[in-house]
Amino acid sequence: MFALQDLHLHGLSLLSPELTLVATALVILMMDLIWKERDSWRLGAIGMIGLGAAALQLIGAHGTQDTAFALVAIDNFGGFFKLFTCAATIVCIAFVMLDRRERRHRIGEYYFLLVSAAIGIFFMVSTYNLLLLVLGLELASLASYSLAGFHKGEKRSAEASMKYVVFGGLSAGVMVFGISLLYAATGTLDLRVMSGALAVDPVGEGVARSLAIALEQSPGMIALAMILILGGFSYKISAAPFHFWAPDVYEGSPTPVTTFLAVASKAGGFGALMRFFGVLFVAPDVGELVAAYRHEIGMVLALVAALTMTLGNLAALRQTSLKRMLAYSSVAHAGYVLVGIAAMTQAGMEASMFYLAAYYFMNLGAFGFLLYFSGVTGRETLESLRGMGPKAPMITVPMVIFLVSLTGIPPMVGFTGKLQLLYAAMSPAEGMQLGWLAVCLGLNSVISLYYYMRVVRTLFLEESDAPTPAPQLPMAVFLIVMAFLTVWYGLFFSPLLSWAKSSMDLLT
Amino acid sequence: MDLLNTNPDNLSTLLSWLTFLPLIGMCVVLLLPASNLRAIKITAGVFTFIPLVLATQMYFGTFDKTVSGYQMVQHFEWIKALGINYSVGVDGLSMPLLWLTTILFFIAVPASETVPRLSKAYFVLLLLLELGVLGVFVSLDFFLFYVYWEIMLLPMYFLIGIWGGPQREYAAIKFFLYTLAGSVLMLIAVIALRLDAGTFSIPELVAIGKAGGFTGPALLGMSFTTWVFWFLFIAFAIKIPAFPFHTWLPDAHVQAPTPISVILAGILLKLGGYGLLRGCFPIVPDAFQEFAYVLGLLGVIAIVYGAYVALGQSDFKKMVAYSSVSHMGFVLLGMAALTEWGMNGAALQMFTHGISSAACFLVVGVVYDRAHHRDLNGFGGLAQPMPRYWAMATIAFFASLGLPGMAGFVSEALTMVGAFQSQVGWTDEAIASGWMWGPFQWLTLIATIGIVMTAAYILWALQRVFLGTLNEKYADFKDISAREVFSLAPLLVLCIVLGIFPWYILDWMEVSVSDLMQILTFAG
Repeated sequence: MFALQDLHLHGLSLLSPELTLVATALVILMMDLIWKERDSWRLGAIGMIGLGAAALQLIGAHGTQDTAFALVAIDNFGGFFKLFTCAATIVCIAFVMLDRRERRHRIGEYYFLLVSAAIGIFFMVSTYNLLLLVLGLELASLASYSLAGFHKGEKRSAEASMKYVVFGGLSAGVMVFGISLLYAATGTLDLRVMSGALAVDPVGEGVARSLAIALEQSPGMIALAMILILGGFSYKISAAPFHFWAPDVYEGSPTPVTTFLAVASKAGGFGALMRFFGVLFVAPDVGELVAAYRHEIGMVLALVAALTMTLGNLAALRQTSLKRMLAYSSVAHAGYVLVGIAAMTQAGMEASMFYLAAYYFMNLGAFGFLLYFSGVTGRETLESLRGMGPKAPMITVPMVIFLVSLTGIPPMVGFTGKLQLLYAAMSPAEGMQLGWLAVCLGLNSVISLYYYMRVVRTLFLEESDAPTPAPQLPMAVFLIVMAFLTVWYGLFFSPLLSWAKSSMDLLT
Repeated sequence: MDLLNTNPDNLSTLLSWLTFLPLIGMCVVLLLPASNLRAIKITAGVFTFIPLVLATQMYFGTFDKTVSGYQMVQHFEWIKALGINYSVGVDGLSMPLLWLTTILFFIAVPASETVPRLSKAYFVLLLLLELGVLGVFVSLDFFLFYVYWEIMLLPMYFLIGIWGGPQREYAAIKFFLYTLAGSVLMLIAVIALRLDAGTFSIPELVAIGKAGGFTGPALLGMSFTTWVFWFLFIAFAIKIPAFPFHTWLPDAHVQAPTPISVILAGILLKLGGYGLLRGCFPIVPDAFQEFAYVLGLLGVIAIVYGAYVALGQSDFKKMVAYSSVSHMGFVLLGMAALTEWGMNGAALQMFTHGISSAACFLVVGVVYDRAHHRDLNGFGGLAQPMPRYWAMATIAFFASLGLPGMAGFVSEALTMVGAFQSQVGWTDEAIASGWMWGPFQWLTLIATIGIVMTAAYILWALQRVFLGTLNEKYADFKDISAREVFSLAPLLVLCIVLGIFPWYILDWMEVSVSDLMQILTFAG
């Protein structure tokens, strides 16, 4: 009896970052009712403090290997994505506070929903159990649906929310159907049981089979399940052919929400996807049949990666709205990250994680720039940026650095990320040949240069007599810090690299 | 084997100082108030002058031209996890080009006086560009090389795009896209080499390539080294620019302001040729031997086609731009011939073209600043109001033409003789029958047409601008000013001095070129 209680307490203590976030979310809701402030910065501060506390606990827990309640895995891999989510959500909250167009009541719910989505991502990235994975994904999605439509009066925002719900519902259904097929074939929902790492299902009952056996018995069912599950993940990371929602939703949502979707939510999707495919196929001792299957999964992922980056970049070429362009660019970047996973190696996964870390700096910077200028000019078109370069150098020069980094040109962190993805693609799992994907990635960088440079050109090469925009010191400081880190980690990326490497503890 | 020759006498931080001085200068310029343009110009001048002094001292002092291998080496770990090192050093191939770089950047600062909308950012970018160029010439680690190679792109994009002519935006993005496409291929080749040989170090890669140590798989019927060769070749050929990758150059040149054209023609094109000699041919010598005749053919096409197109230009600057395409063809032809003479000629041609083309662009800049157009047919008789300018222009263009006694002559003559001696493509039967004739003999023959056409377009251009009846509109043109002479004169002096004493460059390159030839002609 005592032992059982101890176990529960232990499990709860392992979940302290999650519990901190839950408490934060509830405090925000409560204080919103008590303070009743129209534009409360205090609520935002509570959110940031809560997320910061969770982040500190995560850093402290680095190295812990445990399982809470037989469902939530506590490992460095999950820690990486949780920390990423915290860091990204803090910035999103800061963006809400800095958003000049965001002056309305119900701001408490805004923060509450952001923190809730973060909680969903926390569970999504840290479980071997597919049921909990779906629950986490749904929690994150539900919060995101409301966030996308947060500007109720705005037609575009409502449209974004509606589209997001429809697409999200559809793909969640597809994914759950895939999972049910997998369950039918293996008799378990636990990835470690499927991979053969665990002999007994910690929560299930009945007879469980490993994926190797299931592959022998019902290969068609497994193939269908894999495709459907990949479809569900593709929606979350906005990979082709499930990326169609992304541009409309990203464009219609309030910019801080777009930032959340493009950075935190996407990284969460990648975390879950990497855990799924990593444990099932990349782990070294998966057996001969699964190892052979690995190539086919790798090829499918490689095709999705190539398609995603090419479609994203080609569509971005034609955009006249900066926000929409960044939306397509983030689709293309999902394709880049997939390259590392498609290589089906541990080093490839590390490369993907490194790239996500790089993506954090440069993309948050780019969205911060967008937020500033849409606040100043009231528009999100490229046209409205004409000639602004020399007028607000504190904002625009960092933007040049972000764009160059997004293109993947040294000495920026985006380049070192791309370097490792190329590495991964050129040394994939035994028997695979992904040289073509490396070339595709390279050529896509050249395509992307054209539209990223169009922003630079509009800012610096064209002239206008628009008035000098009013400065916003916190945003300028934020952008300069991000730009500095983009360059610094581009030149000295060992810390990021070793963090990504030490976080890849899935496969041991 | 210590390929870098890192014995204590050979180590030096001089090259790092040289590379990073422009960066220090850039930071100083950033701290100056934008309103004080005079102080900014002086600072930029000082921080391009110190590297010039340092490089001159190295060239005539520290650098030992009798020693083979790299000198003034500095080497330490940069990113251990990926085996990336900060590794710099110079040999006889890079030393002259390093010197040329510092000369041209110093000249570019006073030449920038007439650039419209001149501002602080211009000099910041100019100094950043110098950092990139110097870095490429001293890098001995392919990763470092690539980083410096790419650092050059953004400053160049802005320098053309902000301070250029009416179609500057198009020219700037075209330059950027072409070069980045090449860079991406280079990056893939570099990673392939790294994965195969386990190192980024250029000397080590050369040693492995010589020993035939690359084991990568053949793909689509082409061997690993062939793939690497073509990827690297295209990357560098875009920069040279070799036919058919040359179309970005005329646009970039015509739109760029004068000092940027000077740097573009004088140094940036040389990076392509230098890259081939440093990072492509010696690493995959077998593939280079196999495809030498293709390179020779591309070189000759550039020589003849470039000259032919230059003949048809009515824009003064565009004519000089196409003459660059033509002259850089000699570099490719000389390298591909695989003879000692040809290689020396090619390496010297890089230096002499750097001087003469820079001088030509300065000459064009002088007349453009006065007339605000560059239509060759719109001038006439300018020799009357501007006699000193005429004299200097004539020297610059005759050096470019390759008149005996001028710098261009020596290098082109060496290249042609070297190409004619080439034994590439000689079959055993042909040699046995005494018919010592192969692809390169034909190519050399065709290249002579290019030389004749070069004389034609240059003389014709000089005639149209300076001779004939004076265009009344331009009768009151002031002769070349002291500032313009200050930029132009050093180059003209070098044009003549190197025409008479070419060994001031050749002697420096001799040891390195013969080392390189040993690697390239190595029958592996």
